[in-house]
Amino acid sequence: MKRVATLIAASAMFALTFAPAKAETPPDTLVMAWQFDDIITLDPAEVFEFSAAEMMGNTYERLIGYDLKDVSKLFGVVAESWEVSQDGKTITFKIRQGSKFASGNDLTAEDVVFSLQRAVKLDKSPAFILTQFGFTADNVEQKIVQTGDYEFTFEMDQAYAPTFVLYCLTSTVASVVDKKLVLENEANGDLGYEWLKRNYAGSGPFALRQWRPNEAVVLERNENYAGEKAPLARVIYQHVPESSTQRLMLERGDIDIARNLGPEEIAALKEAQGIKIETGDKGGIYYLGLNQKNETLAKPEVRQALKYLVDYQAIADTIMAGQVQVHQAFLPKGFLGAVNDTPFQLDPEKAKELLAKAGLPDGFSVTMDTRNTPDITGMGEAIQQTFAQAGVKLELIPGDGAQTLTKYRAREHDIYIGRWGPDYQDPNTNADAFAANPDNSDGASAKPLAWRNAWDIPELTKKTRAAVLEQDPEKRAAMYEEMQREVMETGPYVIMFQEIEVAAMRDNVSGFIIGPSFDANQFGLARKD
Amino acid sequence: MAELAAPSGKSSLREWLTTSEPRSRAQARLGNAYRSWVAFSRNPLAMFGLFIVLVLIIVAIFADQLATHSPTVGGDLRTERLQPPSAAHWLGTDNQARDIYSRLVHGSRLTLMVVMLVTVIAMPVGLLIGTVSGYMGGWIDAVLMRITDIFLAFPRLILALAFVAALGPGIVNAIIAIAITSWPPYARIARAETLTIRNSDFVVAVRLQGASPFRIITRHIMPLCVPSVIIRVTLDMAGIILTAAGLGFLGLGAQPPTPEWGAMIASGRQFIIDYWWVATMPGIAIFVVSLGFNLLGDGLRDVLDPKAEK
Repeated sequence: MKRVATLIAASAMFALTFAPAKAETPPDTLVMAWQFDDIITLDPAEVFEFSAAEMMGNTYERLIGYDLKDVSKLFGVVAESWEVSQDGKTITFKIRQGSKFASGNDLTAEDVVFSLQRAVKLDKSPAFILTQFGFTADNVEQKIVQTGDYEFTFEMDQAYAPTFVLYCLTSTVASVVDKKLVLENEANGDLGYEWLKRNYAGSGPFALRQWRPNEAVVLERNENYAGEKAPLARVIYQHVPESSTQRLMLERGDIDIARNLGPEEIAALKEAQGIKIETGDKGGIYYLGLNQKNETLAKPEVRQALKYLVDYQAIADTIMAGQVQVHQAFLPKGFLGAVNDTPFQLDPEKAKELLAKAGLPDGFSVTMDTRNTPDITGMGEAIQQTFAQAGVKLELIPGDGAQTLTKYRAREHDIYIGRWGPDYQDPNTNADAFAANPDNSDGASAKPLAWRNAWDIPELTKKTRAAVLEQDPEKRAAMYEEMQREVMETGPYVIMFQEIEVAAMRDNVSGFIIGPSFDANQFGLARKD
Repeated sequence: MAELAAPSGKSSLREWLTTSEPRSRAQARLGNAYRSWVAFSRNPLAMFGLFIVLVLIIVAIFADQLATHSPTVGGDLRTERLQPPSAAHWLGTDNQARDIYSRLVHGSRLTLMVVMLVTVIAMPVGLLIGTVSGYMGGWIDAVLMRITDIFLAFPRLILALAFVAALGPGIVNAIIAIAITSWPPYARIARAETLTIRNSDFVVAVRLQGASPFRIITRHIMPLCVPSVIIRVTLDMAGIILTAAGLGFLGLGAQPPTPEWGAMIASGRQFIIDYWWVATMPGIAIFVVSLGFNLLGDGLRDVLDPKAEK
């Protein structure tokens, strides 16, 4: 009898322990569903993908950071202070003392110098953010030099605007890696490149524990973090490619945050119990590129007219609801000098007048290369309808992303509908793309968006170049404002929207911050109550 | 005389058609066709298939009269978008505030056009290659059949995708791409039929009279291969519709805003949970029409296949 009782008790215990997991996730663990099949590496010197950039942002520290609410406020993170030399070409950084890497090693100027030199020497996709200051694999050791245990100098080829340099140093490519740990794992002089692809050597609030491609990424609290320790012990990214699946998982409570929801799903979740929606401005910009090789589109009145033939607000409220907001300048909200005016709205009468002035009272026919994703096609069809109101017959040519982009890059399109994401947090990234075209010939070496649309702008290019050298931040911001207004009025771009990132999360999650760039989504202080 | 010349009334026409002693070739042929029709009409499923196809054709012809709204111009995005089926919009509205019923009705034209053009292009090509290959034999046969094999070695949709990528998107290019990929089975069937009849006595007799290979193939072999190819084509039509819809679904078929059914499903996919009708309605249309062609093809096989019992 006693044995039977023991058996029953034991099986009850067993049943209790292994009872089917309640849907709730553990209180110290944040589980996110996200599509992260774009990750190819976890090495901050190479990461240039949306999802990996966010992970780098939470696991590594950079020299400089900016206020997520007000991007114009810069502050030191690994750097304690900095000083620009008289000629403006050299910046001396002092490193904050007492920081440690997750491995327990001290973070010193040696690590910072190593990290910057390493990124330049490896020369992967994001390396241009650093090499644009005149560094090459050969000269970087003479240009970025350690001058003390906690001090180093950063010497550039020109007197660039200090804000430009500092914003560039906030990007993931300037993350500080643990020199000792990386060199321990070096093979054949690769600076630890092969090892760091799948491993971690940082000092951020979280440490990367594991990456299982297309399955999961696991972050754990970094106990050695110098700042305020993360309240969460663990953050798990789960790869869930289908947005409808993410929605169902969130409703059931299997996950805490769903990251890739469409407008209709968000609308449906707004009314759901126990779920809240948070949004943040992102840098992505949706625009139409009008090829100036097309004689009709090259007429200034036609360019102007097309800007009055998009129902910006209706698209932002319906087809792209919750994903975009109307924005018509080339610098997204949250950048230094960004212009937030929206002078254009749907006005077919005005467009007709302008077209008549251009000698096209009956409109014209034109094609648009449209990527076959639902959002781009949806916008394309809506634009097609409003263009028709002024007699502009828009033919949509569908194709996959590679097809349309190849055609665009070869300047063979009429109109291209696309999305542009800034490469780093400084206004120069978009100014260089939209408002600079040093060589408009077919064989040009630099092919920014202005080149792709064959917009020949020697004057504006000079202004763009001058803006990166302007030392005074306020004057610099004013220069960008002026350029944006000029491009808005005359440019061959119908800039329509700025992207919004939306995350739907359970009510008990707080402190998850959607920042202005992809590496600025932060959960270092996120908690679950 | 008068009585003979004017056989009036249903029963006498029937007698004229079913007589065992036809007086002319035309009468014999018509009689044969009538017997086939009687056999066909006894198969209720085949009749159902025929009915669906006829409805499709009628809808396509009278699309302008049947549609209640414009298939391409949508209503107000803010108020008329993604409306459920109602009196104003019988099958609801889509992402661009367009009436789904009107789009389906106009889309039937595209579907029918795709099916007919593919048939018109692919069937003669397949028939010619198959009969020539089967009749001539030797190296011609080897070369033609290896080409056929190459085409058969690719999955059809993938090959069509590759052609569309090369030709550029658009409904005409989609039709060409589907036609290019759909002739090989017809060639195979025609070749197999040809092999069984190339040494028949009547073929040998024509050859002895000095007929050229061209004449023998076109006048004596092709007509005998046509029935089995027609059956195969009818059965394939469902596949053609699905391939066209597949290309449309992948955004490489018809150009927006053309109301192509596959493209309509693709655009409704993202709303499937909350706005089921956007993707479901064109899905039902594709399903019904494909089923119709399949049933029709099945019925035709029972009637036309010489080996099947009559």
